[in-house]
Amino acid sequence: MDRPGAYLDHGASGPLDPRVRAAMRPFLEDEFGSPEALHEWARVPAEALEAARGHVAALIGAPDEDVVFTGGDTEARNLAVKGLLSANRALGRHVVATAVEHPATLAACRTATRDGGELTLVGVDELGVVPPEDLAAAVRPDTALVTLPHGQPEIGTIQDVPALVAAVRATGSPARVHVDAGATAGLVPVDVTAFGCDALTLGGRSMSGPGWVGALYVRPGARIHPLVEGGAQEAGKRAGAVDLPGIAGLGEAARIAAAELGERAARMSALAERLVERLLAVPDVRLNGPRSGRVPGHVQVSAGWVDGEALVLALAEAGVAASPGSACSADARKAAPVLEAIGLEPPWTHSAVLFTLGPATTEAEVDLAAVAFADAVARLRALSPIGP
Amino acid sequence: MRTVDALGTYCPVPLQLLDRALARAADEEVVALLADDPLIEVDLPAWCHETGHRLMALQREGDEWQGLVRRRRR
Repeated sequence: MDRPGAYLDHGASGPLDPRVRAAMRPFLEDEFGSPEALHEWARVPAEALEAARGHVAALIGAPDEDVVFTGGDTEARNLAVKGLLSANRALGRHVVATAVEHPATLAACRTATRDGGELTLVGVDELGVVPPEDLAAAVRPDTALVTLPHGQPEIGTIQDVPALVAAVRATGSPARVHVDAGATAGLVPVDVTAFGCDALTLGGRSMSGPGWVGALYVRPGARIHPLVEGGAQEAGKRAGAVDLPGIAGLGEAARIAAAELGERAARMSALAERLVERLLAVPDVRLNGPRSGRVPGHVQVSAGWVDGEALVLALAEAGVAASPGSACSADARKAAPVLEAIGLEPPWTHSAVLFTLGPATTEAEVDLAAVAFADAVARLRALSPIGP
Repeated sequence: MRTVDALGTYCPVPLQLLDRALARAADEEVVALLADDPLIEVDLPAWCHETGHRLMALQREGDEWQGLVRRRRR
């Protein structure tokens, strides 16, 4: 369906690449067999399942057999945190995470504290960067897990993961290290060997695949317990019938992303920069996160003295799809924790809006969004009882 | 050495996972199995006897077991 306007909410959901849809279709139609079965109907599904695993593994430089498919990246984050902690109790009960985790990672870490664990959150600088020395300083003799995001899904900061993991390893700690690449896989090079991590989360959304499918890389020997139990599917790490249409789509999305990553990232970054320039031309608007070194196509700004949710609604009226700065906090009228972590205070903490571009986003969409943004900010400021 | 992490799963899943790993292994390759279902102490020797793979070792460490299984020749 064609809708007028500009769709800049790809971080939440977005159109599937037509090649991804084509890869999924057989498993919604004639290829309905279980890949676990022993009859002829299983052959094509089983081959497709392993082909998809191969494409995802290749995208992140992992052996095929170390990739577990999950129901989205949120489930992968939960499996990583809870599964690694559960299977590595001998290492301790202390968890180190950053102040800029995806809410799913943070929630899973907080759950661990309910079971007697302790959580240390490592702060970030004003651009959202985690200092390696601060991460290392948080590691204790009883630390069992360190988790960190590759790309921050709200402010877009990309961390220097190899340096951060090296800092953890330099402490001599045997703690497991999980990297969340849910916002970056397919947009930024990801290599589990270069990262030196024990586990890595990814999802379909960042590579224009199905967002309801994800995967977790787990290094052999890292030890992990399943969250969903009851079968030998996915190496026993995720029991239950596999979502073969979704997995076939994720595999195709990973294959395409590996081939087109450089071109896609360059195009999306250039369009994002075009958007940033135009948004910052509006008075009292600030970019959250770094100007360069951010997730391609990812732009979050705060418009002082304007409510972020009101701004998103005004943009929607103008045919522009965007997200409040933190979708998880907007309903609760609370400042986004990530914005507080980078040191922002009102009026900036409640006035964020997030634009996420996709591979097919056009200049016209970006320009329309910029004009609508300027108009909406001006109108809302004229209505607002507060101001500079 | 290839390691099958069957931690957190219950029999027969550890043996299913080991079977798959041995199917991909070379003749006489040794595969390690990590498991924490106590039934493995009974099931693994019996399964190796039945399938012809050779159980090299089965050691308990606390609540966990590590088995070493050498794949039979094809």
